[in-house]
Amino acid sequence: MIEERFPGHPILPYLLVLPSLLVIFVFLIVPFAESVWGSFFVSSFFGSKTVFVGLSNYLELFTSPDYLHSVVVTLLFSSFVVLVGLSASLGIAMLLNQKIGGLGIYQIALVWTYSISPAVAGTIWALLFAPATGLVPWLVSLVAPGYTLNWMTNGPLALFVVSLAATWKMLGYNIVFFLAGLQNIPDELTDAARVDGAGPWLTFRYITLPMLSPTTTFLLFMNMLYAFFQVFGLIDIMTQGGPGDATNLLVYNLYRDAFIHLDSGRANAQSVIIFIVIALAAMLQLRAATRKAVYAR
Amino acid sequence: MKKGIRIGLAALLALTLFGTALAKKVEITWWHAMSGSRLKVVEAIVNEFNETHPNIKLNALYTGKYAETLTKYVAAYRTGTAPNLVQVYEVGTQTMLDSGAIVPVYKIPGMLGQKWDWAQYVIPITNYYSTNGNLWSMPFNSSTAMLYYNKDLFKKAGLDPNKPPRTWKEVEEYGKKLIASGAVKHALSFGWPGWIFEQMFAYHNQLFADHDNGRNGRAQKVLFNGPFGQMVLDTWARLAKEGVFLYGGPEYSANTAFVSGQIAMLIQSTSSLAGIEKGANFKVGTTFLPRFEGYPRGNSVIGGGSLWVTKGQSKEELAAVWEFLKFLAREDTAVQWHKGTGYFPTVNNAVQELLNEGWFSKDQNYLTAFLQILSGRRDTPAATGVRLGPFVQIREIERAAIEKAVSGAATPKQALDEAAAKANQLLAQYNKLH
Amino acid sequence: MKKPDRNRRLALLTHLALIALVVVLAFPVYYALVTSTLSFREAYQYPPKLLPGGEFWHNIHEAWVRAKFARLFFNSTVISLSVALVKIILSLLAAFAYTHFRFRGAGLLFALSMITQMLPLPVRILPTYQLMADFHWINTYYALTVPFFASTTGILLFRQFFLTVPRELSDAARVDGAGPMRYFWQILVPLSRTNIAALFVIEFIFMWSQYLWPLIVTNTADMRVVQIGLKMLIASEQIAPEWNVIMAGTVIAMVPPLLVLVLLRKSFAQGIAMQSEK
Repeated sequence: MIEERFPGHPILPYLLVLPSLLVIFVFLIVPFAESVWGSFFVSSFFGSKTVFVGLSNYLELFTSPDYLHSVVVTLLFSSFVVLVGLSASLGIAMLLNQKIGGLGIYQIALVWTYSISPAVAGTIWALLFAPATGLVPWLVSLVAPGYTLNWMTNGPLALFVVSLAATWKMLGYNIVFFLAGLQNIPDELTDAARVDGAGPWLTFRYITLPMLSPTTTFLLFMNMLYAFFQVFGLIDIMTQGGPGDATNLLVYNLYRDAFIHLDSGRANAQSVIIFIVIALAAMLQLRAATRKAVYAR
Repeated sequence: MKKGIRIGLAALLALTLFGTALAKKVEITWWHAMSGSRLKVVEAIVNEFNETHPNIKLNALYTGKYAETLTKYVAAYRTGTAPNLVQVYEVGTQTMLDSGAIVPVYKIPGMLGQKWDWAQYVIPITNYYSTNGNLWSMPFNSSTAMLYYNKDLFKKAGLDPNKPPRTWKEVEEYGKKLIASGAVKHALSFGWPGWIFEQMFAYHNQLFADHDNGRNGRAQKVLFNGPFGQMVLDTWARLAKEGVFLYGGPEYSANTAFVSGQIAMLIQSTSSLAGIEKGANFKVGTTFLPRFEGYPRGNSVIGGGSLWVTKGQSKEELAAVWEFLKFLAREDTAVQWHKGTGYFPTVNNAVQELLNEGWFSKDQNYLTAFLQILSGRRDTPAATGVRLGPFVQIREIERAAIEKAVSGAATPKQALDEAAAKANQLLAQYNKLH
Repeated sequence: MKKPDRNRRLALLTHLALIALVVVLAFPVYYALVTSTLSFREAYQYPPKLLPGGEFWHNIHEAWVRAKFARLFFNSTVISLSVALVKIILSLLAAFAYTHFRFRGAGLLFALSMITQMLPLPVRILPTYQLMADFHWINTYYALTVPFFASTTGILLFRQFFLTVPRELSDAARVDGAGPMRYFWQILVPLSRTNIAALFVIEFIFMWSQYLWPLIVTNTADMRVVQIGLKMLIASEQIAPEWNVIMAGTVIAMVPPLLVLVLLRKSFAQGIAMQSEK
């Protein structure tokens, strides 16, 4: 399918891809291989002594209640971010997709949260929920006098608050893609459905959603990457994994084991486990994307 | 005449070379974790050192919190770019001892052909960082825990503001009175649960781990889930249930509640004193940690950090580092450090100087911590504090156990047994490696 | 033709809903902005203040000077700009190769480039950190930028676009005696303006938001970035965080990426739209 548009340049293409590949190889692939290799060892903090332990690091992780707890927390957190985030963004995108005036202004006014970093989002929401001084605890104390909403000592609440903050930050991103996806749905299809007497719900279910599926699968994957990895800054600023490990996402646990406990074998094992999860998700997404794309055509 | 000129030129050349040799500065780097107001005091001390030692340039760099500083140090050491001097928290002591990366400070004077009087340092502090009577790292920022209380709230509740509680029983009694009077909703709070838990052990001369608290060979098992530990946690859990005790989070968050008058008693590091007095608009009182009656007496544990010297430096660099360590032991420097941060002065001369100038009578609160460690035992490993390899992780395990017990999610026995199992597993792995 | 009343009512409801959404979504930032204008005491008042105070410039100055945000801002700008630009160039070159040439192993190399999406930092964090230490890049701009120079998104985006460029253009260039690189720089790149701008927005925001990596590879205040500066502000106080100054810090942190997004929003939206048209 690729046509040779500039014949007679045998070396040039290799030179063109060389810089990217060099970076990818040196900084991504080789370190990852080292992660895999390192996960089979246990070493002292200063690296002076290493012992081969085979799969022992993995076994320890899978039988460790703390690690399994981390898995559960991550699942809860990402499910919230994905489900609430995508539904809300889709709803907002559909609102934006109407033919009304001032669309451009609304668009930018709803998409701009995309430019906020997870760390900034975390800082702002930490302020909102600060136990003795924040706005939300104050509002709550109006409704339930004498009760201090303290997310620093309430695990489930802390998890809820960070999930909310993370979802809020990602709304802009999701809206942009949903809007583009919606605008790509040919009007003829929706018009034809209306002519056939289909109500808004049916149109949504049988035309809009299927036509959006490439966008949806893409966003599912990107939100998953976000919830697994990029929220680190938010967690580090707001809760540092606490209270009592309530917000100890897999990526945060990894950071702690690697850089605070200096336990490199265990940390590398966690890296590999996360990779397997992401790789599976990526492959699923790829398969869904190619299959649905064919279907959509 | 020609001969004279030649001699003159030779002399000039010699002088120039000599001058440049003198002017050539030895540059040394120090990584530390002192932030906020403590950073300012560090900078002042370093500036003064550099000014009074023109042939040395000391670069003091704030490299993040204790954990980050240690991690970066490890990475730098592995690639041969470690700083000459690094500040490591007390829980990193065993790690540093096993690292093979450092020169124990007790050896340094000998290596430089100098002598040094180790007895000038405050003993409970040097005990913490010594092995077999030899000092491995230089004490720098040492603190301990004490009980802060709000004198105004005490008065409001009908309690004598000059008679703070001495035992946990009295803490409970007074706490209930404070709550009943409507002065506060909760009476007591503290953060750093692991550290305070360990304090209780040392304070009552109870061993926290085997092998003499890890000071006589590496610890193999922890002992904190024994009867004493259960008793401590039972008490805390009961106090929490009664509403007397409000858990204050893993670090310093309890301070805000105390300063804003939401709680009347706070167990916290002595290094928080300056900040608390500054932020409080009430009279702050301090006293020793509360005791459990019927148990022996030990001492409160030293917290904070110390300075470690990297191995493999050139003789000039080592000499420069040693000059700085000597500078820190000077009376005026130690006094300056204490006054600016609330950390203990590390040398006895400084303590005496502070007494003489009436510093402690100006504000008695600064004296409390001192009297506590100086009046406690210093001759048993239990009273000196525990030393563990994977200490950081074990502190977190302690925290999780305490949080579980205090919130009622598990009984103290269950929480402690679970924590001990995890800790022992970590110790086994650590010992396998060393 | 006049809109029937029902449509008008619907439009009105839509407007109301959208305005409500804008307000709700923006509220946290509004609250942050207000706090950045208060004094330390005011920021701790109960009930919390919702109207701006007069300390904005004072707080900005505190953050800028005392918390050294000036230097952090500079660092963030340098690394975000340089990485975005280098990533764009490298992606353009690679996409050009994959779409205009046939060469042995192209498929494999392309697949390898796509793999980067599955290798975000945490799956290789310790060895990459160790690599930086081995290269002596710790606490330098190199560590903060070079590992980010490759981009799956960029290669995909440009590849997709290049495939839609008609063959006639390259043929015409060849007839004119232009080599592939001349064609690339003089025709293809200008043609890709919109996509370049879109990718610039994405990559700039991505780099500006980096937190974990700068946290571990920088040691000293002069190399840190704005995001870490925020963390240092919050974490540095033993007693009570200075929310007013911290919020001023967040304002400083929010402005550049927001500016980039707003200024380039049209290209950004177009680029996304193009990518959605599969």
